[in-house]
Amino acid sequence: MVRVMKAFSFPVLLFVFFAVGCAHSPDPAASLAPPAAPPHAEQVLVVSDPVQIPPTPPEMQVKSETKNVDDYGDIEVPEKVSEEAKGEIADPLEPFNRAMYHFNDKLYFWVLKPVAQGYGKVVPEAARVGVSNFFANLAFPIRFVNCLLQANFGGAAEELGRFTINTIWGIGGVLDPASSKDIDLSKQDEDFGQTLGAYGIGQGFYINWPIFGPSSPRDTVGLVGDTLLRPFTYLSPWYAGTGTWTYERVNDTSLNIGDYESLKGAAIDPYVAIRDAYVQYRLKKVNRKGGNIPAEDSGLPKK
Amino acid sequence: MKRRIVVLNIIILLLFSLPVYAGPPLDAVQSNVNKVLEVLRDPKLKAASAKEIEKEKLRLIYDRMFDDVELSKRTLAKNWNSLNVAQRQEFVLLFRQVLEKAYIDKILAYTDEKIVFDRETMVSGTQAEVQTRIVTSSKEIPISYRVLLKDGAWKVYDVVIENVSLVLNYRTQFNDILAKNKPEQLLEILRKKVKGQ
Repeated sequence: MVRVMKAFSFPVLLFVFFAVGCAHSPDPAASLAPPAAPPHAEQVLVVSDPVQIPPTPPEMQVKSETKNVDDYGDIEVPEKVSEEAKGEIADPLEPFNRAMYHFNDKLYFWVLKPVAQGYGKVVPEAARVGVSNFFANLAFPIRFVNCLLQANFGGAAEELGRFTINTIWGIGGVLDPASSKDIDLSKQDEDFGQTLGAYGIGQGFYINWPIFGPSSPRDTVGLVGDTLLRPFTYLSPWYAGTGTWTYERVNDTSLNIGDYESLKGAAIDPYVAIRDAYVQYRLKKVNRKGGNIPAEDSGLPKK
Repeated sequence: MKRRIVVLNIIILLLFSLPVYAGPPLDAVQSNVNKVLEVLRDPKLKAASAKEIEKEKLRLIYDRMFDDVELSKRTLAKNWNSLNVAQRQEFVLLFRQVLEKAYIDKILAYTDEKIVFDRETMVSGTQAEVQTRIVTSSKEIPISYRVLLKDGAWKVYDVVIENVSLVLNYRTQFNDILAKNKPEQLLEILRKKVKGQ
């Protein structure tokens, strides 16, 4: 709690300091302030942005008091409009995308799910988690390079440490000792699509690829970049790489059976629900350094 | 006069020391989640025949934990105003049932997963986000509760699962439907959804 207060009050105080300083002192000292300002201004953003709740305008406070009188009354302040604009994506290819949604849906229920279930019956869960760790460890170059591309050197160092530790003491990456409490190096879930996003490139529009699923022009380019950094892309013959990729999918699916079903079951329009979930998920990942969801959701500095 | 002030002070003190509902956001969420877990762990409710009793108990906790109207309002956002009051009331009831249907089986399937309460982040004096994680044998699922202080109680108005806000996700779907249909048709779709399956 104290940490929370500190982290909050520091940038706020700085902000107040600069705001007041700029307004009242035209002396040379003020001109020294701007060069120092950008990183702090950024900090203010980091603190308030990932929470994704728009700052409450003063009118809303008043409104919430009157709201108790009549809970079902009109909303007077359309306070969530900005949030909404961020969460939407253009969908000019909707007919194609919807067709591909049905294709992928069938692919899941008719092929991927039964195969993954059968595989899950034969292979115990602990082994499947190991396989999943192994593949995640192999994908280290993707996370490492994209941390570097985003100038997240701390993240890159953490990734390098993880790779070394998990490869040597984690039996080639099957175990994940680097995530243990003692070492506590967390996976930096970065990819090339996020790097492009961090450079300011927007999603563009929605594409639902057959087999690969939800994407956008930006993330499609990202996917190609990631594929080039994935070691087993270079396996020979070509179908060895494809086979490995498929196996990884089956293994991951076996650990997540039921997720797609519940997402689909909860939705009024599953196609729109999945599109929106994809957009929200990617947006938050791009906005977050290191791509780590639980640790940095608060937007507070990690250490 | 002086005595009156003293009495008043004591009353105020008593009022504010009731920790259950007026406590900080994280405590409010945690105490409600723990109540849910108590019901789910209750061996007497494990039998298939006790399922309805179990659900009824969970509904009571839900009422205390969530702000139904606020959740619906934020989900419909600007569309809320295009529904008349009767439609709004029906929407709140239907949406609640849609959510129950969607998540009750997942909740009842709870076995022994650990729930970690990480931290609360105050957004304003009356708004906060409480971050939790469900830790299973193969993964961690981050779940955040967005809460609002109303009448002295912190109530949930949005749940963010794996980075996806429930309110925003349904809002996009309802926007899409209401762009082409009248509010009455949306209600009809929801009625069907509640009845179906």
